[in-house]
Amino acid sequence: MPDVEMKATDKKEDKKDEKKEESEKEAPKQPPPTPTQEIKANIALIERAINDLEPRYTYRVLRSFTSLRKRISDKVLRDAIEENYPKDSAVKASLLSWVPPAPPAEQSMEVDTAPTTSETTPPPSKPSSDPVPEAEIYLRLLIIHHLHSSKETYSKSIQISHETVDKMQSMNRRSMDPIAAKVWFAVERSYELGGELADARPMFLAAQRTASLRHDDDTQASLINRLLRGYLHYNLYDQADKLVSKTTFPVSASNPQYARYHYFLGRIKAVQLNYTAAHTNLQQAIRRAPTAKTAPGFYQAVHKLFVIVELLMGDIPDRGLFRHPVLEKALGAYFDIVKAVRTGSLSEFQSTLNKHAAQFEADKTYTLIVRLRQNVIKTGIRRLSLSYSRISLRDICLKLHLDSEEDAEYIVGKAIRDGVIEGRIVHEKGWMECGGQKNAYGPEAIEVFGRRIGYCLDLHNQSVKAMRYPLNAHRKELAAAQDAREREKELAKEIQEGDMDDDEGLGDY
Amino acid sequence: MASHKLATLYKELQRAFDARPSDLKKCGTLLAQLKVGLIEAGLLIPQGEANLQDLVVARDILEIGVFWSIRAQDIPSFDRYFSQLYTFYTDYRSSLPPSKREFPVRGLNLIRLLTQNRIADFHTTLESLPLPADEINTNPYIRHPVNLERWLMEGSYSKVWNAREEAPAEEYKFFVDSLMGTIRNEIASCEESAYESLPLKDAATLLFFTSQSGLLKFAQQRGWQVDLTAGLITFAKKNDELVEIPKEKLIAANLAYARELEQIV
Repeated sequence: MPDVEMKATDKKEDKKDEKKEESEKEAPKQPPPTPTQEIKANIALIERAINDLEPRYTYRVLRSFTSLRKRISDKVLRDAIEENYPKDSAVKASLLSWVPPAPPAEQSMEVDTAPTTSETTPPPSKPSSDPVPEAEIYLRLLIIHHLHSSKETYSKSIQISHETVDKMQSMNRRSMDPIAAKVWFAVERSYELGGELADARPMFLAAQRTASLRHDDDTQASLINRLLRGYLHYNLYDQADKLVSKTTFPVSASNPQYARYHYFLGRIKAVQLNYTAAHTNLQQAIRRAPTAKTAPGFYQAVHKLFVIVELLMGDIPDRGLFRHPVLEKALGAYFDIVKAVRTGSLSEFQSTLNKHAAQFEADKTYTLIVRLRQNVIKTGIRRLSLSYSRISLRDICLKLHLDSEEDAEYIVGKAIRDGVIEGRIVHEKGWMECGGQKNAYGPEAIEVFGRRIGYCLDLHNQSVKAMRYPLNAHRKELAAAQDAREREKELAKEIQEGDMDDDEGLGDY
Repeated sequence: MASHKLATLYKELQRAFDARPSDLKKCGTLLAQLKVGLIEAGLLIPQGEANLQDLVVARDILEIGVFWSIRAQDIPSFDRYFSQLYTFYTDYRSSLPPSKREFPVRGLNLIRLLTQNRIADFHTTLESLPLPADEINTNPYIRHPVNLERWLMEGSYSKVWNAREEAPAEEYKFFVDSLMGTIRNEIASCEESAYESLPLKDAATLLFFTSQSGLLKFAQQRGWQVDLTAGLITFAKKNDELVEIPKEKLIAANLAYARELEQIV
């Protein structure tokens, strides 16, 4: 599953970062701002988002979330909570209860770093009242993610997730939605790490219903993906398919959610043999996914499936794909399969399949690849039909390593019916006659062309819709337009007068 | 009291089912009674925690029901029993001891999907089997339908025909007949496009007919022209239809482009 892999790579980076940070701590620390400061700034942004009714700021906060997550420690969280809440706040107490109290040893160790932080931050002015509830949820989100970082705290993370979810649902604030969506992701992660993912399903389903009733698009998108992922994790394709057909994925969902959704759809469709739909979905997933460097796990997972689906459709993937720095290593086994399919050699295909069976199984592509067997045969027949104008069934049988001539006849017959090749079998003489190439300029060409034009137009319209204009900027333009109109009026007046003159002149004649 | 009555009925059912040849009629009536009993005991669609022993018995009864419906050639009833069993095989998988009939039953379901040409369902079901991928090729009950599907997709129809006798369980054979019907139609449609004409004798072997009369009847159904004196079947050509230009579609598309362009400029 992609998310897990994303995590796996994340974690490696995590460790690296931790090490880096340790070494950085020795050296005098320079800005960029400390995590605590960043959290404070983020909370300020969230407040601004709520005061201005402009969710954009919240999204900006969430964008920096991934990088922030990696730099968080118990102390950072503690400090952040202390700084942002007044002394005797109930919320603060409940938040602090989830963070382990500072052990004295740690404090003494932090001594040498403490001055640097106090140098960079002037003693923070203690806030007099609680910040908005969104900020609390944001801090909780940070805590949950922090609890994920070690095994002992997994059960604790499930507890806090439950509490947070209850809080979110009782408050029912629309301005909280973007953060809530992220919280659901964290909840799923808690369950996956701490126990059975299946246990979380009833909760997700219930929350999904609520979210769709409240038109809470962010949460809905996130939850649909959570559910799909849970189903696919347990290979419950039937249920996943039903979920997809019974829900509508919110149009306004963010790109990463869309990418995931398309990936899951692609998976379902591929299993159901609907390769064309799977192909479009996977392509969308690739387009919408973050760049290869930021989310290599997802990028690789999508491409693995994409290669297989493309092969199943009878196409050969682009060779350049396998040289991509992020994909080269991960797609090695798939490259071998592509080579086998391309040459149309059954024996090579079988040996490659056996060699990499373990990896394919781990990627959950094994059963899909097994289906490729018929494609290997089809490609073989197509190659033969292109290079020979007439070939005996016996030779086909030998070249493709088929078991008997009888089989060859049936297989060729099926290939002709399915439109893989043009030709016919002459049974009495035991050979296959291959016809010419299909005329490529039929009505299909129009259709393909039409689809592409449609895509371009749609892209244009979408980009027009996606343009943002600064608030109230049109006032200026309006004023300018007002001026222009006045000038025009004057001009028109002058012209009119001029005309009159002319008319008079004419009249004189 | 209900469970006591259930137990006696269950024993009776087992006896009737294990007898050779099993008493289909008696099994049927017993099954109907047992199902009522199961519903009363809340075991037909179990919810929450139920007694493990009871669940095993309920599963056994349903499994017998599956085999019984195939012996009685009642496919809708097979469907019902199978979907009722599904809860036991998935949701209670971790708590119940595995049943030795599970894979025969699942295999039967796969074959059924195959005979009804529900290939997409076949693959989703296959994908949700609780087996690692390499065991699919070693478990005899699953391997059989999987191989059949592969051969059908490839077009190795003779292999499918020859695998008729290799069914791992008695019940599989019931489906073989309808599968053969499917294959014959598949082959026939292949022949229609792959051959111009075919000698009668060869057509009979290709379609696995042993007698000419069977072939002639089949040819009539498919509307083939049979020339008895020359011993030839000629297939009407379908490819020569004139391709019409989809005028309306083209006009509509062009108008749509014009409108869009106007918006852009």
